[in-house]
Amino acid sequence: MGAVKQALRVKLGEGPEVSMAENRFDGASPARQVVARLKVLPIVEGLVLIAALVLPLFLQDYLTVFATRVIILALFALSFDLVWGYAGIMSFGQALFFGSAGYGVALMARDLGITSIFLVLPAGTLIGLAASLLLGGFLLLGRHRSSVIFVALGTLTGSYAADRLARGWYYLGGQNGIPSIPSMSLGSYDITEGPVYYYLALGILAVVYLLCRFLVRSQFGLALAGLRENEQRIAFFGYKVQHLKAIVFAVGGTVAGLAGSLYAFHEGFVWPNLVGVVISTQVVLYVLFGGSGTLIGAVIGAVIIEGVSFWLSDNYREIWPIILGVLLLLVILFRPLGLISFVLGERERVGSFGARPEEKRNAAP
Amino acid sequence: MASTFVAAFEILSFGAIIVLVVLGLGIIASMMGIFNFAQGEFVLLGAYITYLAFSRGVPIWAGMVAAPFIVGGLGFVLEALIIRRFYAAPIVAMLGTYALGLIIRESVRGLIGGFYLTVPEPIGGSIDLGNMHISAWRFTIIVITLLVMAGCYLLLSRTSFGLRVRATLENPALARASGISTPLIYGTTFAFGAALAGLAGALIVPVFSLFADLGIRFLIQGFVAVMVGGVGSFIGPVAGAGLIGTLSAALPWVMSPVVADVLVFVLAIAFIKFRPQGLISGRGV
Repeated sequence: MGAVKQALRVKLGEGPEVSMAENRFDGASPARQVVARLKVLPIVEGLVLIAALVLPLFLQDYLTVFATRVIILALFALSFDLVWGYAGIMSFGQALFFGSAGYGVALMARDLGITSIFLVLPAGTLIGLAASLLLGGFLLLGRHRSSVIFVALGTLTGSYAADRLARGWYYLGGQNGIPSIPSMSLGSYDITEGPVYYYLALGILAVVYLLCRFLVRSQFGLALAGLRENEQRIAFFGYKVQHLKAIVFAVGGTVAGLAGSLYAFHEGFVWPNLVGVVISTQVVLYVLFGGSGTLIGAVIGAVIIEGVSFWLSDNYREIWPIILGVLLLLVILFRPLGLISFVLGERERVGSFGARPEEKRNAAP
Repeated sequence: MASTFVAAFEILSFGAIIVLVVLGLGIIASMMGIFNFAQGEFVLLGAYITYLAFSRGVPIWAGMVAAPFIVGGLGFVLEALIIRRFYAAPIVAMLGTYALGLIIRESVRGLIGGFYLTVPEPIGGSIDLGNMHISAWRFTIIVITLLVMAGCYLLLSRTSFGLRVRATLENPALARASGISTPLIYGTTFAFGAALAGLAGALIVPVFSLFADLGIRFLIQGFVAVMVGGVGSFIGPVAGAGLIGTLSAALPWVMSPVVADVLVFVLAIAFIKFRPQGLISGRGV
């Protein structure tokens, strides 16, 4: 619902913002003219939201189930985008948090019989938070400054080791994982796959999206952007770079945990791949493809890749991964900012961060 | 006594296999600063070429000799066309080589289907030492690994080509100013690393049989080995590979394989965390 307001505010807000800019600064300097230009990002966000809202009306049941999966994966992509796109930490093991939350809630449902949505989703989120605090704290904090490569390989190794552990541990079901998890429940109502689950996932995605949007557009987000562009300079400014990184890594892990618990209940089973390298690299593909460093890019990337993959799966299942590899290579070589950069300008991608101190003072009286 | 010896041989031969796989990875990482995610797929290609030779009725050893040259040639072409653009950004290089690896892996998967294809050992049978039997082919792998290791070391430390490679590694700008063609050196180094991977794939395919995820199996172990050993030198990754290979082969003899498997990775990451420069720090050979 917040996102609708967001979209509306854009349409209504265009006028006053322009006139304010012109009133305060009589001359039309080039920088101010950019403000006056049409903003693409909110329009894209609004269109995606509207499309997502009306989609189930046109889809058959099995397609709604598929769309729900995509929405959850988009939430997962968001978590990776925060970490890589905004803070420049290459987390090659994001599935570790996704999957361990999935396994956690699956165990809760299997062994303790807890399926209430008010318990399992927070639990999954907490598992993601705890796991990412642990791994992030270990990899990022400490006396030595960790190199980018070390963090990338450390997360990758963590994910791989978790995969091996899940495969070999009898309690976690070994190769087969944990099948037939009971459905998530709200009171006596079972939330099963279908339109209800779809709108639940979409609502969560929208809320998390807005929270993330607020986070990356705040002064904290500005520090993150500086970190991504030039870590040393930000350190010289007196920011505790490692702490910033650990915080955003934990936020990413939290979102991944939430997505993982939604995914586990939606699919009804969890299996070792969920914590492993396959899903970890999958989410990297989504974000690179859609456009890292823009939240909507992560969502669009997940939708496009999953959608095309689903569409091609009947006839071209074998060659699809090859096409995916070629496309990814092309994007990395020629469109490093992802597909979203076709419609989104550089300036808008970077955006503005929070309210500047003097604006706050003006707004106060 | 006999079983201890067999265990020691098993551990040694697995260690040798890991060293063989890591050699190319280590050379590319140390000399070029690129963590090549496609290295596992170069191993896979080497294995595939050997299988092709076998299935076409060509002697297997001929396929094994051809594999490093073909994979090395491919590596040279890929470096010139694609890898070259990634030198400035190590993470982008990871992603780019990952995409390359994905393309190669899935193409091979398409070619061989989802099967496990076996290739016989060119030197079959076993070597008998009293009442102990050890696989002749695994023994050959150990010998070849030692020879290749010595060859690489001599190439990098004693030849003028090695000198140029090291000069390019330590100070590219000065190397260029001294008239060394650094792009050519990078290309050759990458091709050399790829060729070593091809050789590794060709030699290990009789042991592990051919399947599409053959390379992935070794890739992460290889990266960890390179980091443990220390990026920047030739000896570092080799030492790391020896350690990781020996540990991951030896630990399952004393504890449950699942725990051992995970423990090796945890220990390795903890080690790198507290000693980022690795076992052997410093640059050069």
